[in-house]
Amino acid sequence: MPKRNNNDMVISVVKSIKDKYDTSELEMIDMEKIEQTEPYNSTLPEKSLSIIKADDFSFYYGSKAGVKNISMEIYPFMVTAIIGPSGCGKSTFLRSINRINDLIPNIHVEGKLFVNNQDIYSRQINLVNLRQQVGMVFQKPNPFPKSIFDNVAYGPRLQGIKKRSVLQQTVEESLQSAALWDEVKDDLKKSALALSGGQQQRLCIARALSTRPKVLLMDEPCSALDPIATSKIEDLIETLKNDYTIVIVTHNMQQAARVSEMAAFFCLGELIEYDLTTKIFSNPSNKQTEDYVTGRFG
Amino acid sequence: MRITLDKFFTVLTGLAVMCMIAALFVILGPMIYRGLGAIFFRGTVEFRKMQLAEFEHGNIEKIKQEDIQTKQARQAVYNIIDKFRNGIDAEKLTDQAKQIDRTFGKELQLQDTERERYQELRGLSRDIRDKLIEAFSSTDIEQIKKHIDFVLRYESDERFRKTSAAQYFKLAHEFAQASEKIDFEKKDLYAGELNELEDIIVKLLGPDPNGNKPVLAQKRYGAARWDQAQKLMHELFWKEQWIEQENSKTLVRIETSRAEQFAGTELEPLFAYIKDNSKKMLNPQITFYWRYFLDDSTPGHYFGGIGPEILGTLFLTLLSMVFVIPFGVISAAYLTECSSEGPVIRVIRMCINTLAGVPSIVFGLFGMAFFVLFFIPFFGGPSQGCILAGSLTLAVLTLPVMIRSSEEAIRTVPQTYKEASLALGASKFVTFVKVTLPAALPGILTGIILSLSRVAGETAPILFTAGIAIGPVPDSIFQKTRTLSYGSWDMAVSDKLAAEVPHNQYGMVVTLVLLILCLNALAIMLRSRVFKKLKGH
Repeated sequence: MPKRNNNDMVISVVKSIKDKYDTSELEMIDMEKIEQTEPYNSTLPEKSLSIIKADDFSFYYGSKAGVKNISMEIYPFMVTAIIGPSGCGKSTFLRSINRINDLIPNIHVEGKLFVNNQDIYSRQINLVNLRQQVGMVFQKPNPFPKSIFDNVAYGPRLQGIKKRSVLQQTVEESLQSAALWDEVKDDLKKSALALSGGQQQRLCIARALSTRPKVLLMDEPCSALDPIATSKIEDLIETLKNDYTIVIVTHNMQQAARVSEMAAFFCLGELIEYDLTTKIFSNPSNKQTEDYVTGRFG
Repeated sequence: MRITLDKFFTVLTGLAVMCMIAALFVILGPMIYRGLGAIFFRGTVEFRKMQLAEFEHGNIEKIKQEDIQTKQARQAVYNIIDKFRNGIDAEKLTDQAKQIDRTFGKELQLQDTERERYQELRGLSRDIRDKLIEAFSSTDIEQIKKHIDFVLRYESDERFRKTSAAQYFKLAHEFAQASEKIDFEKKDLYAGELNELEDIIVKLLGPDPNGNKPVLAQKRYGAARWDQAQKLMHELFWKEQWIEQENSKTLVRIETSRAEQFAGTELEPLFAYIKDNSKKMLNPQITFYWRYFLDDSTPGHYFGGIGPEILGTLFLTLLSMVFVIPFGVISAAYLTECSSEGPVIRVIRMCINTLAGVPSIVFGLFGMAFFVLFFIPFFGGPSQGCILAGSLTLAVLTLPVMIRSSEEAIRTVPQTYKEASLALGASKFVTFVKVTLPAALPGILTGIILSLSRVAGETAPILFTAGIAIGPVPDSIFQKTRTLSYGSWDMAVSDKLAAEVPHNQYGMVVTLVLLILCLNALAIMLRSRVFKKLKGH
């Protein structure tokens, strides 16, 4: 088991940013459903500093487990990297945080997964609210075949924002946050598919930011990009963590070491070790982790 | 060895392509050539007269002048025929003689003559009449001479002078003159042949300007096209006969010259006259009949254009698209997005595949049984074929094509688009409408192109549901309509029109091909625009 509970260092980091963070902003629970069912309080865990908390969480594709018995907490305003060999379930875990895995038929979950103290696999959860709070950036840049503006405005429009000036402002802010504004501000009407790969990925990040999420999930965001584009994205992550909680899955261990503060090592669907990145890479407590990060395995 | 094989393969595929192109030319070439004949041909004066009378196109003054000129040239034809007829047409001559007798009687009554004198003159008139009639029907030249002599004896009689009875003697003279040149053995034959000849002349020059009998629409004008006229003239000069030969059972076609048939008679100069003066009589001019695509036609497509057919085809096609596009796309959306693979879906898919292979006539019968007799009357519509029923039937016919291609199109939209949309908090429906559908649009448009081509050309489904060969231009979707495919089918089967006006049938077919091409080109342009927009060029 990870030693997170005893780790004073983590706690101190979290405490230092606690004042930036107000849990009451998050409203993912569908109020109508709650009125019809019994009070939700009974399943609420004690309030903690974590924003995402897995509690003995398992995810099954049919009868095959994608991840099993994961228990970990992810802290706000930090970059948490998930590393591990291919097929170890790191993407599965990431994709269950905003329930995008629901698209796959015949899946079921065991245990609990909390985002902002709310069990996201409970019936009361409103998927639309959840996904607006937990944004996602995918492995391959996947902008819609629309204009740059329409791509970024997609999320706000879904929320019912129709006013052009508001949309304009949101789009500009999101593009600026994704460090893309200066490159595209003159031709927002251009098709997103005309951008380069790195620009497309930053556009996807801008799009994910446009709904003002609390958490940003990144599923190997740089695996389809060249080194220059990759370094730009990494710089971007560095600035974004001031405002967002980032969970990033990566194959690239140098990248994990460069951008993340916390790192979790997955293997064969299980969480092997979860600790500060510096510790994982310099002094892992588990033999498997050590083998992996030093390149002897995987 | 491998290089030879490669070369052989290249040659083989090249040959296949060449064969296909050659076949295309062999099939399309003559069809287009003949179809072009519908709008680009040498039109005769009859064509211009028809255009003026039926559609009010053309310069009235010019056409009137032309009409007068050609009438002069034609008068000789009618004169020759009349002259010849006087010798042989006993029935007509008899009628004339009887008519003279009747008018003479009336004249006498009006003059208020004395009773005895009246009786005498009437008796004499009847005698003359009877002798004439005997002479007309006789085949013995001696007898005829005797009868005619009897009649002509009264020619100088004062009592008949300046009365209508004087016409007896004119008739007798003409008949005597004509009968001298006639071989009486062939008299009956001539009568039959003359009728045949007159039929052809009516087709060539239009109805006899001296006769006032009402005529069928298709006989109101002569040959409107020079090629038609030439065909008719060939028929006029050469009699076609099928002769059975003793040894072989097959009939042999021979052509005999009519000029020889009528050699020595009053009719003989007719053939030479027509041959020499055909252009004067018909005045052929090169015509570009672009109104072919707009004009209505006289009943049965004998004259005029195919405007209503084009309109009907467009109506049916576009209305069926209105039904098939939403149904097809929604069904495809269900099959790809909302359902999970299972036995039910497999059965549905199998049904769709089977439907795609069902012969179109089956859909036609289904359309009649369901839409015409049940569905539309159920909602208060008419219980007869109509555009609505036809387009619904066509929609059902092409639904499988539409579903299949839309399904393919929706399936090829990258999953990442959907994921990205869902991850932004969009519902499944919003994702489908805002992301999947626009991205699948080029594929869906391909399906529309395929459906369009099929629908526009189908005949069998509208046989019982919407098609009609002769009728007004519909003013609502609850009426039957003429269509290009139905029209060309009808011309081919229901009467011999296709043989008489082949240019019309080919014109329809070529127009149909062109129409489909145009619709397709439109859809393809739309698709490439959508495609460009999606690709961001």
